[in-house]
Amino acid sequence: MKRRFPSIIRNIVFSLLTIGLLALALGGYIGPLSRLALAPLVAAQTWASKQYQGLEDFITAPRDVTVIRQQNANLEAENAHLQAQIVTLQQQLTEYEILAALLDFARAHPEHQYLGATVIGRDISPFLHYVIINRGSDDGLRRGMPIVTQNGLAGRVSQVTAKSARIQLITDPSVKVNVRIQPSRSEAILTGSITGEVSLEQIPQNAKVNPGNLILTSGLGGNYPPNIIVGQVTSVKSQEYALFQSASVQPVSDFSELEIVLVIINFNPIEIEPLLPVPKTP
Amino acid sequence: MSILLAIPVLSIATILQSAVISRMPLLHGTADIILLTIIAWAVQEDVETGWQWGLIGGFLADFTSGLPFGVYTISYLLTTGLAIALRKRIWKLIVLGQLFATVVGTLLTHAASLLAVFIQGTNLPLREVLETITLPSIFLNLLFTIPVYILIQEIALRLHPEEIAI
Repeated sequence: MKRRFPSIIRNIVFSLLTIGLLALALGGYIGPLSRLALAPLVAAQTWASKQYQGLEDFITAPRDVTVIRQQNANLEAENAHLQAQIVTLQQQLTEYEILAALLDFARAHPEHQYLGATVIGRDISPFLHYVIINRGSDDGLRRGMPIVTQNGLAGRVSQVTAKSARIQLITDPSVKVNVRIQPSRSEAILTGSITGEVSLEQIPQNAKVNPGNLILTSGLGGNYPPNIIVGQVTSVKSQEYALFQSASVQPVSDFSELEIVLVIINFNPIEIEPLLPVPKTP
Repeated sequence: MSILLAIPVLSIATILQSAVISRMPLLHGTADIILLTIIAWAVQEDVETGWQWGLIGGFLADFTSGLPFGVYTISYLLTTGLAIALRKRIWKLIVLGQLFATVVGTLLTHAASLLAVFIQGTNLPLREVLETITLPSIFLNLLFTIPVYILIQEIALRLHPEEIAI
């Protein structure tokens, strides 16, 4: 009897305590007490969680770094590829602009037929002002055909192979082009030089030539079609005792940046040598 | 084998000369990679095909240039002869021979070109040619000659490996 009685009393007390605590909790009376009791528990849990995070980072870090490095390499490769694409597109844009300008020139001069060509090289000799284009006899090119840019006259075909042609520029020292100066309509001869500068020679003394006058091909001699713009007078040299005047010229075409040119394919140079009188031998 | 090798090597030099080097003038002078390649080959110790390289290089240059055919061939062959003669006399300081042959070869090539242009009827002012073309060309050739020499020396060593005495 005595042994059962203490266990019954213990159970009753425990039950009453539990019911009492529940009632107090439901009533909201043990909030401060629970906060006090949970604080060390929370601190311990936080500490344990941090230690676990650190351990997890330590174990998984090498794999993450490798992944990040791989992603970085992929992004760098993609960036390089995109940069190359940008350069290509910029080059295509430049070519498009040149072609658009050449098309405008062709439309402004519909009397001629044109064939576009790309400049692929220059003469290896520094004494000659020649360029090489990627069109040849297979494309209908013939020796003597004039070459123009979107601004004006550039030169003429000097030699032709099946797939390429050599162009003699008007800056070449051996070139002589018959021109006419606007607005005076005076005739003169345009010559090149070793430095690439062009000048006018044999301008009549009575011709009124001023800086800024336009220079066009005259068509004399049959080597170039008439009325193609060549350049502009920059300065005039006139001496009273000289037979002729001379002048410096700024060509309209930039020969250091030639990339794409037009060949006038429906112009045949005229050979006038058979018409020139031959002096009779005594 | 070394004669066959001349065709691709000198062809590449010709293409580079026309497409790249000629677009990089100093004043109005340009380097001559074909000339430098021929000189570099001719001064190599165990090479016996210098003349052939000079001939092939000259032909390629003449086919590419607007100058009368033969101008480059003759001047390159003369330069090759000079380079071979220097190799026999200055065999210990062959780089000096390379430099000397570069200067003389440039002068020879330019003199031949000037003569050809004069015969064709174009008078060029000599002083202007010297100041704006020849001197800058010599400078550029001297600048490029050592890298070209090193490259050609590598090729020559692969074709003619050094013999080691045991």
